[in-house]
Amino acid sequence: MRFSIYRYNPETDAAPSMQDFDLPDADVAPGMMLLDALRLIKVSDETLSFRHSCGEGVCGSDAMNINGRNGLACITPLASLKQPIEIRPVPGMPVIRDLVVDMSQFYHQYRAIQPYLIVHDPEPEVEYLQTPEQRDELDGLYECILCGCCSTACPSFWWNPDKFRGPAALLQAYRFLADSRDQATAERLEALEGPYRLFRCHTVMNCVDVCPKGLNPTKAIGKIKKLMLKHLI
Amino acid sequence: MIWRASGFRAWLLQRLSAVYMALFIGMFVLHLVLDAPSSYQEWRTWMALPFITVTASIFFAALLIHAWVGLRDVIIDYVHPLGMRFVLLALVAAGLLAMGLWVLRILMMGGAA
Ligand code: SF4
Ligand code: SF4
Ligand code: FES
Repeated sequence: MRFSIYRYNPETDAAPSMQDFDLPDADVAPGMMLLDALRLIKVSDETLSFRHSCGEGVCGSDAMNINGRNGLACITPLASLKQPIEIRPVPGMPVIRDLVVDMSQFYHQYRAIQPYLIVHDPEPEVEYLQTPEQRDELDGLYECILCGCCSTACPSFWWNPDKFRGPAALLQAYRFLADSRDQATAERLEALEGPYRLFRCHTVMNCVDVCPKGLNPTKAIGKIKKLMLKHLI
Repeated sequence: MIWRASGFRAWLLQRLSAVYMALFIGMFVLHLVLDAPSSYQEWRTWMALPFITVTASIFFAALLIHAWVGLRDVIIDYVHPLGMRFVLLALVAAGLLAMGLWVLRILMMGGAA
């Protein structure tokens, strides 16, 4: 099985390059995921760097660009990939080493939407209650694992990563707007105003296309706009 | 003020102008299909009806607003140096404004003749 993998060590290399690797077919078990293959390759060349942890699509650390498409290596079956399998870091982010990128800007945008419940009333004596219907509003939003596949596939985020919140953060912005327990709707909407934070989204829908958890940031962004309209009237 | 239409208002103006343009074009095409003017004179008379002059003026205003928001978006996306961006935005604004005045002149002259 043939691989072509992006290699770059900013401390020693003048420029990034692609390196070919061959994994003997004998090592490829049926049902194997891309991450398993990368780990085998790392046995033969331990300088190859990539992040991973849970190995089952839960932690969100092994986002990479696989044959031109962002995805999680751990849940991408090898059998689904055309050879040579081309692996690159997710686009638009500063590369630290090989497939490891600096996600600071992505996290900065996430923090900026205040990803926690804001309540102005005095705290209740008991738990915050929610009806099953109110809880259902959070489906398709809370499942995000912050892998960054979406934001790093979004052209608007490539052009303005410092000002545009990006699909991941906007999905979470809506997750808290949609939460019946949250009381900061007006402030949250106000904080998304302006030409950049929300409105750089041009509904390209790359984000929906790549999300490994099947979430739909574009729909959430549309719902935020609808909320803004409702608040205007 | 569309100059200051930052995020939400620009987006809303873009949608509203799109809806208006779709309606107007539908009405316009329907008229051309059902009751096509048979001569230039008839066409001018129709265009000079106050209802048509007014709705057509609004149409061109919507078109220019729509173009402004759209082009502004492209410039904000791709042109980051502030000086360059300002120059381009000013050029676009001047161009659109000139077109608007020209259209207005045509529509008003049509009514006068
Ligand atoms: S929305 Fe999907 S692609 Fe984006 S960060 Fe969350 S899980 Fe990853
Ligand atoms: S729909 Fe919006 S957020 Fe998603 S990829 Fe397109 S521009 Fe980016
Ligand atoms: S290793 Fe955790 S999501 Fe892939």
